[in-house]
Amino acid sequence: MLFNSLDFAVFLPIVFVLYWFVFKTSLKLQNLLIVLASYVFYGWWDWRFLSLILFSSVLDYVIGIYISQTTLPSKRKALLFTSVFFNIGLLGFFKYYNFFVDSFVSSFSFFGWTIQPNTLNIILPVGISFYTFQTLSYSIDIYRNKLQPTRNFIGFAAFVSFFPQLVAGPIERATHLLPQFYNKRLFNYHKAVDGLRQILWGMFKKVVIADNCARYVNMIFDDYTSYSGSTLFLGVFLFAFQIYGDFSGYSDIAIGTARLFGFELKQNFAFPYFSRDVAEFWRRWHISLSTWFRDYVYIPLGGSQGSKLNQIRNVLIIFVVSGFWHGANWTFIVWGAINALYFLPLLLFERNRVHTDVVAAYRLLPSFKEVFKMGITFLLILLSWVFFRAESLSHALGYLWQMATDNFVSIPQMRPTYLFVLIFIFIIVEWLGRKQQYAIELLWLQYPKVMRWGFYFCIAILIFLYGGQEAAFIYFQF
Amino acid sequence: MLKFLKKVGFIVIGFLLLSYLISHASLWSLRQSQFYKPTFLTNGVPQTQFDYIVLGASTGLTTLNTQTIDSVLHTTGLNLSVDDTSLPNQYLMLQHFIATGKRTDFCILAPNPKNYNTLEHTLSDNDYRFLMYAHRPYVHDYYSQFKGTRAAILQYSSWMPTLGVSYYNAEVFYPSLLSLLQPNKHNRFDDLGNYSYPDRAFVDAPISQFQDTDLTFKNSYLEKIKALCDLHGITMICYISPMKGLKADVGSADYTIINHSDLLKNSGYFHDGIHVNTIGRAQASVVFARDFKSYLGIN
Repeated sequence: MLFNSLDFAVFLPIVFVLYWFVFKTSLKLQNLLIVLASYVFYGWWDWRFLSLILFSSVLDYVIGIYISQTTLPSKRKALLFTSVFFNIGLLGFFKYYNFFVDSFVSSFSFFGWTIQPNTLNIILPVGISFYTFQTLSYSIDIYRNKLQPTRNFIGFAAFVSFFPQLVAGPIERATHLLPQFYNKRLFNYHKAVDGLRQILWGMFKKVVIADNCARYVNMIFDDYTSYSGSTLFLGVFLFAFQIYGDFSGYSDIAIGTARLFGFELKQNFAFPYFSRDVAEFWRRWHISLSTWFRDYVYIPLGGSQGSKLNQIRNVLIIFVVSGFWHGANWTFIVWGAINALYFLPLLLFERNRVHTDVVAAYRLLPSFKEVFKMGITFLLILLSWVFFRAESLSHALGYLWQMATDNFVSIPQMRPTYLFVLIFIFIIVEWLGRKQQYAIELLWLQYPKVMRWGFYFCIAILIFLYGGQEAAFIYFQF
Repeated sequence: MLKFLKKVGFIVIGFLLLSYLISHASLWSLRQSQFYKPTFLTNGVPQTQFDYIVLGASTGLTTLNTQTIDSVLHTTGLNLSVDDTSLPNQYLMLQHFIATGKRTDFCILAPNPKNYNTLEHTLSDNDYRFLMYAHRPYVHDYYSQFKGTRAAILQYSSWMPTLGVSYYNAEVFYPSLLSLLQPNKHNRFDDLGNYSYPDRAFVDAPISQFQDTDLTFKNSYLEKIKALCDLHGITMICYISPMKGLKADVGSADYTIINHSDLLKNSGYFHDGIHVNTIGRAQASVVFARDFKSYLGIN
C-alpha cells in the first residue's frame, strides 16, 4: 500500500479509530492490531511475501532467546551466525542472485568462455532490505549484551512489521523501538497534531516536489542523447530533488504516522543539501542506514582507528557495501565508491568532523563562504547521483560525456517554470526550518493562527492538485 | 481525542471544499481560454462557416497545413487535429464542432493511418483536453464508454472536477493558471490550428521501395463519423498521410479516400516514420490541395 494512495487514506483512519477507541484498554490487543494492520498493509502489495516477514520474526525471536540463555561463546557465535546467514541469505537470494549470476557470466565471457546461466525470475519483496536489517540488529545487540531478548512475541512481531516504517524505513534499532511496544501508549493531542503536520510536509515533498521532478528526470534520462549538456545538468539537478523529496518525504510520513499511534521513530534526514562537506552530507542523509553500517560494519572493522591503510580500506568497504545495499547493479557500487573517494581526503586530513553543527545556526542567511561550501558539496553529490539514477554504467558514462561535451553552457531545452518556483519555495522553507526535525515543525508558530493555517492549506491544496497520480516511492525497490 | 478528531474533520471538510472550488475555477479558466483545441474552437474562432475542417491525430495536425491549402484553393479551412488521439476523439471533436454552431462542407479525416484498422477502442492520451466540457452530455458519454481508472476519473469529473484536475495537474491546472494571464495562448498550434514538427529530418536519400500495408477501414467509428457528417450535410473524405517507405493498400473501401501514403519519395521529407517535417508538410499540402480541388468542383 502506498502512503500517497486512496487505499491508505481509508486504511489509516480505520486503524487509528480501532487502535484508540476499540483496543485502547489492552496493550496486547493494541500490539496485535498493529501486527494485523501491518500485515494487511504489506499484503496489499503481495500477501505471499508475508511469509518472509513472519519467518524473519520467528527466527530472530527464537535466536534472541537462545543467545541470552547460553554463555558459551562458540554457541552464541553459532546462533548469531544462523541469524546472519538466514537474514542475509534471504536478502542475497531475492535481491542479488541474478546480479551475481550475470556478473559471473560476464566475467567468464570476457575471457572468451560462454556459460549458459540459470537466472530465475525473482520478484524482489518490497522492503526486504529494511526489515532484515532491523531484525539483524536485534540479534546482534543481544549477542553484544546491549539488549535483553523479548519474551513478548506479539510485541516483537509488531516491532519487525510496524507498518509506518516497514517498507522504506527509517531502519529502527530494537534498543529504541522495541521497548515502546512494552509500554502503555496514551493519546497525546500535541504529538498527534505534530504527527499530522509531519505527514503533511512529507506528502508535499513526495507528491509536489519528487513526483513533479520525476516527470522531467525520466524524460531526460530515458532519452539523454537527444538533449544538450545543460538539459542533462537540469535532469540530474531535478533528480537530486526527486530522490530527496521521495525518500525524506516517505520518512516524514512514516515518522508522523508512527507518532499518531504514540511511537517515536528516529530522524532519517537532517537537511542534507545544506551540508558544507561530504562528511556532513553523510551524517544528514539516510541517517538510519548510515548509522546501521557504522555500528555493525565500520566500527567492527576498526573504524577510523589503526593505520591509514586500514582506514582507507574501512571507508571503501562501508561506502561500497552501502551502495550495493541500494540495488543489485554496478551503478550503485560505483556510486558508493565515488562517495568514498569524496570522503577519504576529509578523513585522512582529519577534516571529517569539522561541520557537526547546523549551518548558519544563529543567522538568517549563510555567509558567502558557507554558500560556496554548500554549492561545491551539492555539485559533487549531483555528479554521483548520475550513477545512482542511470540504468547501467554505460548509461551513466554516456550521460556524463554528453553533459560535458554537448552545449553545457546553453539554455536547457526544458524549462519547467512552475517546477522551479516550487523548488525555490521548498528550499526556502527547508532553510527556515533547518534546525528542527522537519522543516515545518515550528515554522511560523509565533505568527497568528490565520497565517499558519493559510500556509498549511496552501500545502494541502498543492498536494491535492498534484496528487492525482499515485507514483511509487523510489526506495520501495531497495 | 474527540477534540483531535473534530479538528481533523473540520480541516478535511474545509480542504475538500477549497479544492473543489479551485478545480472549478481551474476548469472555468480553461473554458475562457484558447489553450487547447476544444476551447480554441469555442473562443478563438469567430467564423462559423468553413469549406473544410481537418480532423485527425498528429499526422493530420502536422501534414495538412490549411494555410497552404487555402492559398492554393482560396478556401477557408480549419485544422482541428489533436496529437495522440484516435478516431473516437475525432468523432467527439466533430460533435463539439457542430455543438458550437459551426458549419463545414467537407470533413477531412486524417488519423494515424493504422487507426483505420483499429477494432478495440481505448481512451487516448490527450482526451483530457475536453475535461473543461465534461459536464456536457456528449463529452460525458464519450468518457463513459471507456474502461479503466483514467476514463473513470474523466467521467466523474463532471460532478467532482477535483478528480480530473488533480490527476491531470500539469496538463490542466498549470495551463489554467497560464490562461488567466494569457487567455489567447495556444498550446502548440497557430491561428488556424496548424502545427509543424521541427526540421530534424533524416539524411536526404531517395526511398526506392515501398512496402504494402493493408488498411481495412473496419474501425467502427468511421461509420459513426460518416453518419454524423451525412446528418449535417458534410462530405467526409479519408486522408492517408505520407508514410516513410510504406504504401497503403486501401482495397475496396466504401469511403472517399485520398491516399498519399507513398507520396513522398525521399527520407528528407520526414521527421519520423509517419510524420513529415516542414518541407514534407509543404509538399503534402500542395498535392492535397490539387487532389481536393476536384471534390470542391473548382476548375
